[in-house]
Amino acid sequence: MADHARHGEGAGRDAAPAAGQDTIELRAFMGLAELFRTRGWPVPLPVRVHPGTTGPELLRQLDIAPEQVEVVFVNGKAVSPDLAVMSGGDRVALAPPGVPGPYRVLLGFRKM
Amino acid sequence: MAKFIRIDMGTRTAEIGACPEKYAGLAGRGLTSMFIADEVKPTCHPLGKYNKLVFAPGFLTGTSAVNSGRISCGAKSPLTGGIKESNSGGSFSQKMARLDIKALVFEGLPADGKYAVVKVDKDGVTFDEAPAEIVGAGNYDAIKVLQDKYGPKVGVALIGPAGEMKLSAANISFADPEGNIRSAGRGGLGAVMGSKGIKAVIIDDAGASAVPIARPEEFKSAAKRFANALTTHPVTGQGLPKYGTNVLVNILNEAGGLPTENFRRGRNEWANNIGGETMAATIEERGGKTTHGCHAGCVIRCSQHYVDKQGKYITSGFEYETIWALGADAAIDDLDAIAYADREYDEVGIDSIETSVAVAVAMDAGVIPWGDAKAALDLIRQIRQGTPLGRILGCGAAAVGQMYGLTRVPVVKNQAIPAYDPRAVKGVGLTYATTPMGADHTAGYAVATNILRVGGFVDPLGKEGQVELSRNLQIATAAVDSTGMCLFIAFAILDIPDGFNALVDMINARYDLSLTGDDVTALGKTILKAELDFNRRAGFTSAHDRLPEFFEEPCPPHNTVWDFTDEEIDSVLAF
Ligand code: SF4
Repeated sequence: MADHARHGEGAGRDAAPAAGQDTIELRAFMGLAELFRTRGWPVPLPVRVHPGTTGPELLRQLDIAPEQVEVVFVNGKAVSPDLAVMSGGDRVALAPPGVPGPYRVLLGFRKM
Repeated sequence: MAKFIRIDMGTRTAEIGACPEKYAGLAGRGLTSMFIADEVKPTCHPLGKYNKLVFAPGFLTGTSAVNSGRISCGAKSPLTGGIKESNSGGSFSQKMARLDIKALVFEGLPADGKYAVVKVDKDGVTFDEAPAEIVGAGNYDAIKVLQDKYGPKVGVALIGPAGEMKLSAANISFADPEGNIRSAGRGGLGAVMGSKGIKAVIIDDAGASAVPIARPEEFKSAAKRFANALTTHPVTGQGLPKYGTNVLVNILNEAGGLPTENFRRGRNEWANNIGGETMAATIEERGGKTTHGCHAGCVIRCSQHYVDKQGKYITSGFEYETIWALGADAAIDDLDAIAYADREYDEVGIDSIETSVAVAVAMDAGVIPWGDAKAALDLIRQIRQGTPLGRILGCGAAAVGQMYGLTRVPVVKNQAIPAYDPRAVKGVGLTYATTPMGADHTAGYAVATNILRVGGFVDPLGKEGQVELSRNLQIATAAVDSTGMCLFIAFAILDIPDGFNALVDMINARYDLSLTGDDVTALGKTILKAELDFNRRAGFTSAHDRLPEFFEEPCPPHNTVWDFTDEEIDSVLAF
């Protein structure tokens, strides 16, 4: 059996969930991860949201241009930013255009 | 006149003939698979006298078409027992095409158990004894010795110690333009090459003329449109060059489909440490190369030179699947350690996906502790030493699972399941189950708008639309695998329809044809049918198209299970 206990909070590992009652836990990938770095934001970044915050609202709040985001993951499910809806406690991630592979189709980023 | 070269390793003689009519309209995977289906006895022993090994460049290889330099290798696989096509970068394929060689076929078994170096150039084929210092040596040194002897620019295909030992996961390595290594990784074709007593094949295109183009102006304009599609698309123009395929670690982790600790869960806490973003930053900081092409003419350049803290080269072509397998599946949270393992795989000449999944299975069996980088490297080094445990590891995940009595062994048709959990990315699970290649993610890679007519978004966690998706991806991939094109072109083609049209236009202009998108689809189907028929004659039935039963367990975080019925699975390739 796997020894899961071994994975404590070592350097670089995800700390205890950043999401609270009114905050989401936000990650970003590829070029957006760089954007986080240049803005000095930690990953994951706790972001305070109101219940039912939409993708466009989130991006406005963070000052990220809509064309920089192809997909928003909400609790591990990929949706287009316009359709994303989130509330405190959710795990959210932003992926820019440029994710390789048929995975953009297989993961439902893109409509065939 | 295109040449078809048959090389008999029993007599060390070569027969250079014109390409038979039936193969004239084929190339790449289409040619290798049709040829194996025609000429190899399906029930033969993969390492015995009836198996044949064939190399073929693609339709567009050798031309100025970007990304067209891949080589297809085919044989009956010692790992799966079925038909195998495995393709690779490197400079070999372009040189074959310039010499106007449609296929190189290796037949027979050596009379004396000695290793030969087979040299192919414009004057024909010659045979030398393999230099003693390269037998048993690592591939990097062996390539240096061979390029010193035969010329710095020659193309090299070779096997390492794993191929000499005829291990079922041995690969065929190809020198890239800088003498580094790319591999036809999957399915153990290196063992077939070893069984035929071939240490290396040298190809020298000195004195060869340019590849003829029937309608040059048309070709030029199509090639330009095609290159334009690749360089303007965010995936092939930015995502891949900057981060490589390893960018998928974080994406799959987020999607809950990054198999962790021998497929126990689909997400872990350390993915970002081993992901493409961290890798690119590390390479930049250490002064390595974040972008690099595996053959001349690649404009995507997904490869890289990963270097150590002193800036010294460790490995290139450091791919998502390898990094996933050691970094998540075997829980080794250490990119440097994974790079050293990747280097050792290249040195010994073994499939980095198969062997890394086998390492995770060995950890599950308690052979070494989970996530122990040093123990894993020691284990991997045992392959080169030829210890019993090293040989078991070199025969793949299923062999390790069998030796240690495990049921949790992620393979289909004996081949290790790669980096995408079939419970969280269900479409790829159907491809693992049904492709004639054994669990292979690249079998369902290509997406072309003209070919794919599935409507709507696919929910990766649900079943709807997945059968059609897997089928269409497999058909498109079989066709793209025949062009000599790197599969990554498919990403751009998906979004830029003119990219696909330009691809077909280039083939038409090169050969004076008038194919349409539908012909390309038909070609993909023909190839798959021939491959499935070979496997059927080799004894495969639909019972072999099943995932291991442990995929009935829920996979966190989504806790979905593998729930396709047998009928659903069997309908994927029923066309
Ligand atoms: S994109 Fe990558 S795999 Fe494809 S040809 Fe270029 S370097 Fe090789």
